[in-house]
Amino acid sequence: MIEAIPFLLQGLGTTVIITFGSFLIGAFCAVPLALARLSDIAPLRWLATAYIEVVRGIPPIAWMLVLFYGLGRYVTLPPLLAACLALGAVSTAYLAENYRAGIQAVAGGQWEGAGALGLSKGDTFWRVIAPQGIGVALPPSASYAVGLLKDSAVASVIGVSDIAFRALTLNQQGNPGLPIFLAAGVVYMVVSVPMAVLARKADTFIRTRSAV
Amino acid sequence: MFEQWIQWLPGLLTGLQTSLAVTGLSLLLGLPLGLLFAFGMISRTRILRQATILIVELGRGIPLLVVLYVVYFGLPDGGIVLESFAAAVVAIAFNTGAYTSEIFRAGLLSVPRGHIEAAQSLGLNWTDEARYIVLPQALRAIVPPLMSYSVIVFQATSLGYAIALPELLNSAYQIGSVTFEFLSVFILAGLIYAALSIVVSRFVDAIHSKTAH
Amino acid sequence: MIDNQQKRTEGAAGTTDAQKAPQLQPKDIHKEFNGNTVLSDISLDVNAGEVVAFIGPSGAGKSTLLRCVNYLETPSSGDLLIDGKPTVKIASKPTRNELMNLRRQVGMVFQSFNLFPHISVLRNVALPQERVLGRSRKEAEERAMELLTRVGLGDKADARPSKCSGGQQQRIAIARALALDPEIMLFDEPTSALDPELGGEVLAVMQELAATGMTMLVVTHEMSFARRVSDRTVFMADGRIVEQGAPEQVFGAPREARTKKFLEAVLER
Repeated sequence: MIEAIPFLLQGLGTTVIITFGSFLIGAFCAVPLALARLSDIAPLRWLATAYIEVVRGIPPIAWMLVLFYGLGRYVTLPPLLAACLALGAVSTAYLAENYRAGIQAVAGGQWEGAGALGLSKGDTFWRVIAPQGIGVALPPSASYAVGLLKDSAVASVIGVSDIAFRALTLNQQGNPGLPIFLAAGVVYMVVSVPMAVLARKADTFIRTRSAV
Repeated sequence: MFEQWIQWLPGLLTGLQTSLAVTGLSLLLGLPLGLLFAFGMISRTRILRQATILIVELGRGIPLLVVLYVVYFGLPDGGIVLESFAAAVVAIAFNTGAYTSEIFRAGLLSVPRGHIEAAQSLGLNWTDEARYIVLPQALRAIVPPLMSYSVIVFQATSLGYAIALPELLNSAYQIGSVTFEFLSVFILAGLIYAALSIVVSRFVDAIHSKTAH
Repeated sequence: MIDNQQKRTEGAAGTTDAQKAPQLQPKDIHKEFNGNTVLSDISLDVNAGEVVAFIGPSGAGKSTLLRCVNYLETPSSGDLLIDGKPTVKIASKPTRNELMNLRRQVGMVFQSFNLFPHISVLRNVALPQERVLGRSRKEAEERAMELLTRVGLGDKADARPSKCSGGQQQRIAIARALALDPEIMLFDEPTSALDPELGGEVLAVMQELAATGMTMLVVTHEMSFARRVSDRTVFMADGRIVEQGAPEQVFGAPREARTKKFLEAVLER
């Protein structure tokens, strides 16, 4: 049992890679998606809305299977990449909604004010709107990252050698399941609980700062 | 493609039935558990409070898939052997309890302190206070997020795939492994997930904006 | 109730028949919050039918004392006697039964009314009777209607509390407390959240109640009400009773400098 722990812990790196990888994908791609969602051009808005609704409506594990098995006929993706892309696509949709809430929380007068000063749309967004909206968008996005860590366990079903997968492997090699899986759970908690605490701290920090 | 879809649909709908059954049973067991956890978390008894918080943190901190593995692959070591259906219900119900406890707790705490004091000063006992004063008021804050959460529970049943539960996603996989049309069948299954999720979410939004006015 | 009335006419500031114990006696009530003393050893004898007004600067402990009398706050130490008998064996550790018994005898009216917003006015008054006294729904609603009529709000029975003005809500809250047939009524700044005009309606109901011989403890900022209606006025500051006596004496010829200073400040406004 004890000798199983290092084997389990080696999966931690993979779990962290999936979590960070897919979060980064989401954090970048969500910016244009959120802007499209708020665009004046109706078809663009509809497309963005459709993407967000459909992607969030389908469970992450299904995305995992779509990318790995579904696309398997055309391209063979390495499991780790498939996992990052699948969760990245899902987090793009969720984070875009957070960004949208952040952008909308900034008073409409700010766009007008910046426009009246002759700032370009890009400058207005990046230098005026985004810095104000981030306080609204950041806390739920941080909690989403914690959720993503847990969702990353789903990658084990397409053979990514993360914590959950290694626990499964150990169990199939004949080790007792209960302690193995509980140990895996503890490893996840050791990462997710501090992350959640940090997210909460960031939330209260931003709240108190913006309250002043 | 559509001909194939029509051919596959009955098989997928059978899977969907299992998904919905797991969803329903998990909510049936998980929501009372969540309420219980919520009462535990606001209890005045310190031990009870701390024990509940520990259990809830476990439920929220451990990925549901791992909880599923614990129940399905782990519990047999303790002499408890559950079929995949029962295992999925137990794991998802526990997860639901842990997550919804926060919704219940927030709802209970949304009832103004003064109303609780009024109930106490009128001599209502603890159960009457909860039943007639606190819960009816808290329900307004609780029901919309719980309905949204039911969508999450429905989606979570897809994890049953990992323990060979014949739910929607697994049915799709089975069809794919026979026809090798994985992409097509997964798209169909995905659309079913999305359709149900979106319809329920829209419904919840509609109710929410109605009660907000 | 009728012999209470009798006693009221005798004038109340402490003249008791020797045989009878005072109806309510907080004894050495001490209350601390995180090491800060909020009430230091308050003792008081309240006779049946007496109306006692508590005045004093905010933070004096008036509300806390009132809340200790029905154990919404648990005193750190002391005794609470009703009819000469202790209501709670260990002051800082009330049992569930002791609390039930105490609260059955003591009604409370809050500054913020605290009506239940999800049920009608009538149900607000009837529900506690059904649950606490075990009255039938019919009986409870009849009694509720009777009391609502008495406070002038029979026509509001089916409305939601939110549809009533603050003054009406407070009168309903009084009816709700009275419906449980309490022997003692506590009023915690009942008019502080109200405009003077609406407050007047509430004070009128309270004055009427006082005339029926109800024992009343009233924390108030309404000096004229204290002066006119109370049998005894208690001035509190810094968690202590500084001075008490007939309202004419306390308002007209305060003995303590602290009282004088407070009254000058208040009456000047």
